[in-house]
Amino acid sequence: MPFPNFRFAAPVKILLIEDDKETSAHIVYALHGEGHEVTVCHDGLEGLNAARAGGQAALIVDRMLPGMDGLSLVRQLRAEGNRTPVLFLTTMSGLNDRVEGLKGGGDDYLVKPFAFPELLARVDVIARRGSQDSEPVRLRAADLEMDLIRRTVHRGGKPIELQAQEFRLLEYLLRNMGRVVTRAMLLENVWELHFDPRTNIVETHMSRLRGKVDRGHAAELIHTVRGAGYTLRAD
Amino acid sequence: MRIRFLRTEGFRLSALFAGIFAVSVVILGIFVLVITNQALRDQIVAFSFTDIAAIRNGYDFEGEHEAREIVQQFMAGPANSGLYLLQRDGKALAGNLPPMATRTGTVEFSFSVKGRTREVLGRGDFIAPGLYVFSGSDMARLRSVQAHILNIMLVLFAAAILIAVAGGALVSWGFLRRTDAMAKACRAIMQGDLTLRIPVRGAHDELDRLAEAINEMLSRISTLMENLSQVGNDIAHDLRTPVTHLRHRLERARSEGKTAQDYREALDAAIAKADEILGLFTALLRIAQIEGGERRAAFASLELGELLAQMRDLFEPVAEEAGDQLQLAALDKAVIRGDRQLLMQLFSNLIENAVVHTPSGTRIWLSLSRVGGHAVARVSDDGPGVPREEHDRLFRRLYRREASRSQPGYGLGLSLVAAIAELHGAAIRLVDGSRPGLTVEVSFPLAADTEKP
Repeated sequence: MPFPNFRFAAPVKILLIEDDKETSAHIVYALHGEGHEVTVCHDGLEGLNAARAGGQAALIVDRMLPGMDGLSLVRQLRAEGNRTPVLFLTTMSGLNDRVEGLKGGGDDYLVKPFAFPELLARVDVIARRGSQDSEPVRLRAADLEMDLIRRTVHRGGKPIELQAQEFRLLEYLLRNMGRVVTRAMLLENVWELHFDPRTNIVETHMSRLRGKVDRGHAAELIHTVRGAGYTLRAD
Repeated sequence: MRIRFLRTEGFRLSALFAGIFAVSVVILGIFVLVITNQALRDQIVAFSFTDIAAIRNGYDFEGEHEAREIVQQFMAGPANSGLYLLQRDGKALAGNLPPMATRTGTVEFSFSVKGRTREVLGRGDFIAPGLYVFSGSDMARLRSVQAHILNIMLVLFAAAILIAVAGGALVSWGFLRRTDAMAKACRAIMQGDLTLRIPVRGAHDELDRLAEAINEMLSRISTLMENLSQVGNDIAHDLRTPVTHLRHRLERARSEGKTAQDYREALDAAIAKADEILGLFTALLRIAQIEGGERRAAFASLELGELLAQMRDLFEPVAEEAGDQLQLAALDKAVIRGDRQLLMQLFSNLIENAVVHTPSGTRIWLSLSRVGGHAVARVSDDGPGVPREEHDRLFRRLYRREASRSQPGYGLGLSLVAAIAELHGAAIRLVDGSRPGLTVEVSFPLAADTEKP
């Protein structure tokens, strides 16, 4: 296992559609390390057929592909009613690509080059998204409870006062309970920042949140995953 | 090629005008000839009429003798070169014409004298039964007047053509001389001398305006090229350092590493270095993309005050951790058009600069005011500030102040800020306040629909 600090969810089947042989070899190595079962296609049309066959928990699709580009491929799948979660991979070339990719049916977007923990964490999160049924009203982790309607948080029955962004941060952690979320994922999903700030925004906010959620409780819920990010876990 | 000027636009234009002028001279000439011809004939006929009336008068009062007398007088008159004939029953009584057929009214005929044909125009009439009188003029006079007019017209015509050709040639020559100079300058510039400029005559004519536009373009190009080569050098230079460090680390690990732990640490450090290098590339690419203007397509209306309040909430914990205070000063409402993501990055960079490059205990303010048609956003701090002479250099790519070289960063933050501001048509300046510290002021044009309630 290349990242011993990780505790990812159960291994799943993943289809990787990426034409660059070296990149795909690295990605396959990282995914295998987590126990995932990976099928690789180096061509868009080939990838489309493999995806149509179904059975995957997630697709990792490069935007630039021979045969059929990644965006058209996913649009085609969505048009056919295929709802398999998709993570797009792209180079920096197009800043507007992200919006386009998500509109086209992608569930997440990762810009190359990326660190492997970033890829693994995102695959883990989107792979589970497919199995979520309906929008929950309450989120729970051990004795922590978040009411999404009243927008209140209680731990052990006692209310916790959270600022708006702390609430969003905790909500994101709870929604991805048991999964590792990276700094970039938090920046994108909690603050809508799609760039890497120089200062430790995430750490300072997280530290405040932990102060409110975990201080004075025997069991810590929010954990730091070294070299990757954070996770909220109820052991 | 000596006749190159024939192919210039100036020459074509003058040739066209010369042609139009020549045609109009010809039309005018014909018109003048017809008119003068008619007028001269009318005049001859009128004179003849008067002469005949005078002769008739003489005859009526004093008889045939007097009529002959008057004809003699007319012929001798200095101003009168007329032709006369007084004739009874086919025999000339007086005059300088041979006997002729007795036609009355306006008469035109020709006759030969000493082998020369003379054309005559005049009037004939009977002043008494059998006594015929004719008074007329030699048409040669009329012809000579017409020839005279024709000559003048021809001279005018030739002069017009000559002036047009000469003028056209002169204009074209001047034009060619200037365009040749421009072409020559362009070639010299192409060959690598970007400091050269197209000569401007100072007449503010169309060629000068063209030359000025080309010169402005050249200045812009040379600035961009200087930037580019500067950036290229800087990147090459700046990349050598981390790559060299990376190499040193790997070499050391190979020669000194003993345990798996040693190798793991060396690799972690190498990965961190590689990330730093990738980060530098990412930042450079991002600036290049923003400068490319591609993102303008994603512009939307947004309220800047709300965005600044959000930035304050975002960075407040960071500032607090650094021992600084991040506060909101007066926030007007101001709607601008822009890219939310990029604007967040712009203000992030400015706020982070204020947090990172100032000592602990610094106070930082965000403010927004509407001034004229602009939304003026300010990020101010009461830190040590930046000396005025360094202000321009701050926005240069990869420039890092001596004091901040030990901090992590690439020296690209303000270049990115400048690129984002430029994309939004915003002016950016560093303000020297009376109090210590630094204020960065970004002035955005308000969205067009902001004035509406």
